[in-house]
Amino acid sequence: MSAVEAAPRVEGRSNRGTATWMVVPALVLLIGFFALPYLTIITMSLREASTRAVYGEGFTLAHYTTALGDFYIWGILGRTLLIGATVTVISLLLGYPVAYHLAKSRSRWTSLLYIFVLSPLLVGLVVRTFAWMIILSNNGVANQALKATGLIDFPLQLMNNSLGVTIALTHVFLPFIILPLLGNLQAISPDLAMASRSLGASRMRTFWKVTLPLSMPGIQAGTILVFVLSISAYVTPAMLGGTGGRTMSVLVVQYLVDNFRWPAGAALAIIMAAVAVIFVGLYLRLTARAMRRLP
Amino acid sequence: MTALTIDRINKRYGNLHILKDISIPIAQGEFVSLLGPSGCGKTTTLRCIAGFERPDSGRILFGVRDVTHALPEQRDIGMVFQSYALFPHMTVAENLSFGLEVRKVSVADRQRRIAEVLAMVRLEGYDKRYPRELSGGQQQRVALARALVIEPSVLLLDEPLANLDATLRDEMRFFIRDLQQRVGITSIYVTHDQAEAMVMSDKIVVMSAGTISQFGSPREIYERPVSQSVAGFIGRSNTISGKIAEALGQDSYKVETPCGSIGTTGPAGLAKGAEVKIMIRPENIRTLRHDAGISRQQRAGEAGHGDNALTGAVVNSIYQGSANQLAVKLGSGDRIVVDVGGRNPLDVGEQVTLRFAARDTWLLAS
Amino acid sequence: MTGSSSGVEKTIWDHLFTALVAAIYIFLMFPIVLVVLLSFNSGEFLAFPLEGFSLRWFEALFSNKRFLDATLYSIQIAATSTIVNGVIGTLAAIYVARHATVFRDYIRLVMTAPLLVPEILTAIALLFYFYEIRIGTDYSIGIQIGHIVVTFPYVFLNVSSALFNFDRSQEEAARSLGAGGWMTFRRVTLPAIKPGIITGCLFAFVISFDIFNISLLLKSIGKNTLPLELFDYLRFNFDPTAAAIASLSIFMTFAAILIIDRTVGLRSLRF
Repeated sequence: MSAVEAAPRVEGRSNRGTATWMVVPALVLLIGFFALPYLTIITMSLREASTRAVYGEGFTLAHYTTALGDFYIWGILGRTLLIGATVTVISLLLGYPVAYHLAKSRSRWTSLLYIFVLSPLLVGLVVRTFAWMIILSNNGVANQALKATGLIDFPLQLMNNSLGVTIALTHVFLPFIILPLLGNLQAISPDLAMASRSLGASRMRTFWKVTLPLSMPGIQAGTILVFVLSISAYVTPAMLGGTGGRTMSVLVVQYLVDNFRWPAGAALAIIMAAVAVIFVGLYLRLTARAMRRLP
Repeated sequence: MTALTIDRINKRYGNLHILKDISIPIAQGEFVSLLGPSGCGKTTTLRCIAGFERPDSGRILFGVRDVTHALPEQRDIGMVFQSYALFPHMTVAENLSFGLEVRKVSVADRQRRIAEVLAMVRLEGYDKRYPRELSGGQQQRVALARALVIEPSVLLLDEPLANLDATLRDEMRFFIRDLQQRVGITSIYVTHDQAEAMVMSDKIVVMSAGTISQFGSPREIYERPVSQSVAGFIGRSNTISGKIAEALGQDSYKVETPCGSIGTTGPAGLAKGAEVKIMIRPENIRTLRHDAGISRQQRAGEAGHGDNALTGAVVNSIYQGSANQLAVKLGSGDRIVVDVGGRNPLDVGEQVTLRFAARDTWLLAS
Repeated sequence: MTGSSSGVEKTIWDHLFTALVAAIYIFLMFPIVLVVLLSFNSGEFLAFPLEGFSLRWFEALFSNKRFLDATLYSIQIAATSTIVNGVIGTLAAIYVARHATVFRDYIRLVMTAPLLVPEILTAIALLFYFYEIRIGTDYSIGIQIGHIVVTFPYVFLNVSSALFNFDRSQEEAARSLGAGGWMTFRRVTLPAIKPGIITGCLFAFVISFDIFNISLLLKSIGKNTLPLELFDYLRFNFDPTAAAIASLSIFMTFAAILIIDRTVGLRSLRF
């Protein structure tokens, strides 16, 4: 009797026991080569600098105090955040109409349009940034076109500054705001817009009062994604930014690779991450107010 | 007075002809149901009336005003959706206020009208709730209130009860009908549920494959269907095929069938020799045990049912609580379904006589 | 805005809106189309006007040993990442969907974490870590592990989503018919989630092929992946050979997109 009762329990336990191995390789990978490495950024940032080795003996907060007292670094941090914010706002303004259009579209071209949105995401960053170099350089396609139309006589400085980085990053990260918005907009029942119209609201009023408030979660997710991606981007500012468009990521890599100042570079990376966390936190609190009524 | 005229509208999607020359006149204060299986065009018709679809040809008039080309928001309609379509980010009061704000109603008037209509749908005190905090039936009533509070000229309802459970659905039928009569608003109701259409409507439009099969009162449609498909769609029915043997009066005929000659009622003008189907509703057939001696008194009582008599054997018997449903196989091979009240004294295999009156039959063109 | 799908006539605003959306699509596609155009241009410069069709830059590319080596190296790393993640990502997704109980949300968070943090930070973290545990960057193992870590979530998410959409009662039906656990998995579960695995693996391959930051910081000296080689090339050269490499990489991406679209549909992608 007791054996019969015990049997299912034993089987249940052995099932779970035999299943655990399935997740072990992944956990080993992500703890051993993801979680632990992140801890070493913190320890590295507290190491003494050394001219003879990667770091010296003992620990110090000097890298933080030096960085935070350096106006040059503050300037680059400010520029990085400004570029990030600009890219985010422009991406939202350009991405929303595309997501809205794609969510409503029921033509047979929808699938092709979806490929148009996705493909820039899957084409490598270096390739896409290279394309923008062709467009934005002094002899580039944009300046050629402007000269041909007689608008300018001398080429405009479109790259090696924040402007070029902002334009290229907007292109690079636009899909990242379109896709969450698209998911969000598709989940809103078309009946709601029809209900609004039946109650006498125009299409504009319907958009402002019904569709836009209900798409706030998509806006929030997409803008955070684009902001974090653009302030941490390396390839685009490194290729297009020159010195005039240098951002925190470029500076950190310069510390690590060119100057071999690992502890100081680690401190800069942590400062960058901390600033990002603070900004995203503030943004979440702000947008939470706009979303408090949503289910 | 005609409140709403649908005048020969057509609608095509590519080479699909969704609506073919649909015309429906609707009187002021009438409750009209569009009834039919899915894909018959009833929802497209409603969307044309609402302005979410534009007919390729034909006109839609609200009173004397041609609204065929008007935008939905210019039509002064109230609409209740199957999904309710309550704005999830607004409270009940804000949902109700939405249409009043568009109409620039003053704050004081808004509050008064919202309170009135909430009382009407028995949801006093729910104004601060969000839709997600309400039950399905309550959401349904808010949707109704939101459509009524703007005092529209027409109320459009698109299968509003489809998402409710059976008990609540029955309750809401009477609730909506009662409310509609009290307000006196012209209403168009889309449904695929014939029982719903029967109990709620002044008129029913039976649709199939983009055309109107029949337009009439529930009684007309139930008792005088124009075709076998209408008869089959509304309620249960039996049919027996035959040929007209002779016309007995303007609307009564003698029909020759494999089971013998049957006295029937039918539309005027059927020619002798025409192929017809005799429709008889199960509840209009009296079943008697074949071998039992039938007393004179009983016979007298059966006088109304006495016009016709067919014999057959019980092949199936289903107990349904309030009644029994019997299937009887006639000598001709036709299967006839009949209702037998009370305790069922008949067993499968027993020989029975089926009696029904000529006035309870209706002829359908074959 | 528009209700473009309904049968109601279009207003001037609808047309303006459509034009705006079309302009944004052009903004999205123009740079990519431009690179492909210029890679087939016979002219010496990366500029207009186009002078004529030519494959000379592709010839230049294929006679360049550095680019060939880099391409092979990239394919090797991407293929290894794909295979490793195809196995451990699928297993982990099944575990989380079917067996995880108390810690399910935490495990899921850990599994997707590499997507939630900037790649540059992960690259820096791994650079320090490999130094500290004496693996260093002398061999390919560091860069390979980096690629596996960053592409892991793509396989995990796509398989998880396939499992989520898969009706579990099919497994129960198989069990009720007498199939054992392994047979049920092989004959019922695996075929059902195969599209998710394929999508996840293709995605992992494409992403790994394009990864830059991880490769930059973790590569061993003298061994470049294709994006690194292109990056280095562009520091000193600015000619259509670069466009030819870019074109090849674009063709590869579109091939992957087409395969995904034909086999499982693009909308099932998860990232």
